[in-house]
Amino acid sequence: MKRPIFAAVLCAVAWIGGACGQLMTEPPPAGDDLESPFEGLSADLNAAFVAGDENFAKAFTIDEGLGPIFNNVGCEGCHPGDGRGTPAVGFFRFSEGQDLALDKGGAQHQDKAIPGAPPEVLPPEVDRSFRIPPPVFGVGLIEAIPVEAILAREDPDDADGDGISGRAHWVSSPDYVSAAHVGGGDGIQLGRFSRKAQVSSLLQQVVEAYHEDIGITSDFLPEENSHAQAGGVALGDQVPDPEISAATVLTTVMYVRLLAPPKRGPITPQVERGEALFHQIQCHTCHTPTMRTGASSVPALSYVDAHLYSDLLLHDMGEGLADNRPDGDATGREWRTAPLWGLRLVTDFLGGQAFYMHDGQSTTLHDAIVRHGGEAAASRDAYMALDQADQEALIAFLESL
Amino acid sequence: MILRMLMGLLCPLVGVAAAEEGETPLVRGGIGDKPFIKGIGGRTYFGGYTEVHFRYEREEGITEELTFEPKRFNIFTYTPVSDRLRVASELEFEEGGEEIKIELALIDFEIHPFLTFRGGIILSPLGRFNLSHDSPTNDFTDRPLVSTQIIPTALSEGGMGFYGSVHPTPQARVTYELYAVNGFDDRVVGGRPEGTRIAAGRGNFADNNNRPSWVGRLGLSPRPAVEVGLSLHTGPYNSWEADGLAIADKRNLSIFALDWEVRQGPFEWLGEYALAAIDVPEESAIFQSSQRGYYAQLNAHFGRGWIAQLPRSHFTGIVRYGLVDFDADIDGDSHRRLSLGFNFRPEEEAVFKVDYQRNWQRDAFDNLVRGAALLFSVATYF
Repeated sequence: MKRPIFAAVLCAVAWIGGACGQLMTEPPPAGDDLESPFEGLSADLNAAFVAGDENFAKAFTIDEGLGPIFNNVGCEGCHPGDGRGTPAVGFFRFSEGQDLALDKGGAQHQDKAIPGAPPEVLPPEVDRSFRIPPPVFGVGLIEAIPVEAILAREDPDDADGDGISGRAHWVSSPDYVSAAHVGGGDGIQLGRFSRKAQVSSLLQQVVEAYHEDIGITSDFLPEENSHAQAGGVALGDQVPDPEISAATVLTTVMYVRLLAPPKRGPITPQVERGEALFHQIQCHTCHTPTMRTGASSVPALSYVDAHLYSDLLLHDMGEGLADNRPDGDATGREWRTAPLWGLRLVTDFLGGQAFYMHDGQSTTLHDAIVRHGGEAAASRDAYMALDQADQEALIAFLESL
Repeated sequence: MILRMLMGLLCPLVGVAAAEEGETPLVRGGIGDKPFIKGIGGRTYFGGYTEVHFRYEREEGITEELTFEPKRFNIFTYTPVSDRLRVASELEFEEGGEEIKIELALIDFEIHPFLTFRGGIILSPLGRFNLSHDSPTNDFTDRPLVSTQIIPTALSEGGMGFYGSVHPTPQARVTYELYAVNGFDDRVVGGRPEGTRIAAGRGNFADNNNRPSWVGRLGLSPRPAVEVGLSLHTGPYNSWEADGLAIADKRNLSIFALDWEVRQGPFEWLGEYALAAIDVPEESAIFQSSQRGYYAQLNAHFGRGWIAQLPRSHFTGIVRYGLVDFDADIDGDSHRRLSLGFNFRPEEEAVFKVDYQRNWQRDAFDNLVRGAALLFSVATYF
């Protein structure tokens, strides 16, 4: 009699143990999310990642310095799951020719304000460019790619006659970014971040995101964003500046540096066919599948292949995608080749919807491809000439990245 | 009447059971129903309750909490100053003393059985759960989502007003409570990074805008085992004037609640629905103006007398489903929870609870985050 009871108890324990994982939720498969660190980090770097993750997840209150004008209350408000945002959280960059229109509230339209301050109104006469927030992961790898490797792919005068004329975007780095940072220091620097590669360093990207997107001052930019449309007065925000320390900013910089891109999805025969077509119709000329990093202070980022599907160069994308707003040395028709890694998880972090391209106006990859023009027109036409099965194979390949 | 009710509730001391008196507290489990309060001398009676939790919580496979939590240690007092004048209080020590507050400190003066004046720090009659939220009386470890996020239990406010009850028939009863209170403050929209959070604006011992809010509840009970309650809390929450100057738009917060409780044999069916309408600063575009939530719960009591050494002991199986929608204008920004529980009460005033929770939280992008929790807790009056 005792034996069956004992067996039953054992079975129950085994069942509960087996089901426990599901009952208490299980993590997504490794590489199936956008907010994991690179594998093999030291304990110190993991600790930095965890600390930076808290900064990234933090939403600011008015009492903590939010605003007075801003676009969102925290990083994740624009980058859900550390991925791209939606048009609902996008915003306009604006200027007048090469003039950043600072006297009119440029170069970014902060459409929200804390009580006591009016939100900015987008001036009707300015050049404007609507942009959705880009994904954040993988920027550490982009940072670690040597300048020479990026310049090696330049062909500004289309010397090889392939119709592709990518060029580097040389920019000035802010004074607060020292030469110790990639893209920092005196003189012109290679731009490699943001939609038009107008940012040369991760530090600048993060500092300006805090400052312009959230209205949070830091040791690097200790004065509030001037509210030109309200006479330059930062009404409402009573929190002493700077509102966060340099250490907080640098921790956030380290966090985004350590964010790994997701792993490839299953590679099926259809995906393999799509990859062959990707090369056949010359998509890979700009969407360079792999670039190799150089030396990095983070061992996991040193001398590794970055499968970003971008050459990080500016390309003329034609009239259809033109925002007609110069950004630094980039013209209104030029855009940095957008990395394609992580496309397979776009809908997973946007509530089941997809938004592609800089403005988020394409909800399918097919539409995103069709909107390509300029230097990509030949590849677009070649895609359009494919039969439906091949088009689907190409998209299946993109959705495996 | 309240005196008789409270005296009835003091039965272990005074030896008069409420049931024997045939009296029913205004709200079962509420301030008039603290059954284990004891006197230690003089005319003031003391009692209280304490609770401790063990929590194991995971979110998307990551352990978020695995901890013991000495949740609350609350002390009650009750003083019958005279036949018509009573004073009652509750002092709360939460999370090991991290939060200490006077949750209740009220003076009752009975004018007529239908009309009693009440003033002080009152427990706002907004939904039944806020009035009856002691852990030993509740069958789950955690409070319902709607009763913490939309109705921020325990919601106690400085105020004055009246309460009473009438019996239209021998079985039926209508109760009412109506008070002017300090209400909420500006932190409703500025106090939490998530946006509008009503709970952030509670706890004002002085009115921030010199305009009272109103809170009231009407309880309809056609027979003793059935009650439906309708509640409303409404009034301005922000400071819109200073030094006689308009400094902002006047903004109101109104919370409507419907609650119910039905007892039939070993079963209890209870729940609550709440809807909040919040005037928010339009220029900020980050605050939610409409929030709602509900819960529905079924309790089944069984096993009374199964344990001979504990003749008053019994077991309870419980299931609860609840939702809070922080932004009724969009998909997402919501939290759903399914709770399954099993209780053992060695005595009516003490309970051992084992709960399993499944949580589904959606952010403003409608992305789903799954969570689960295993909870074990003990709570008892003393």
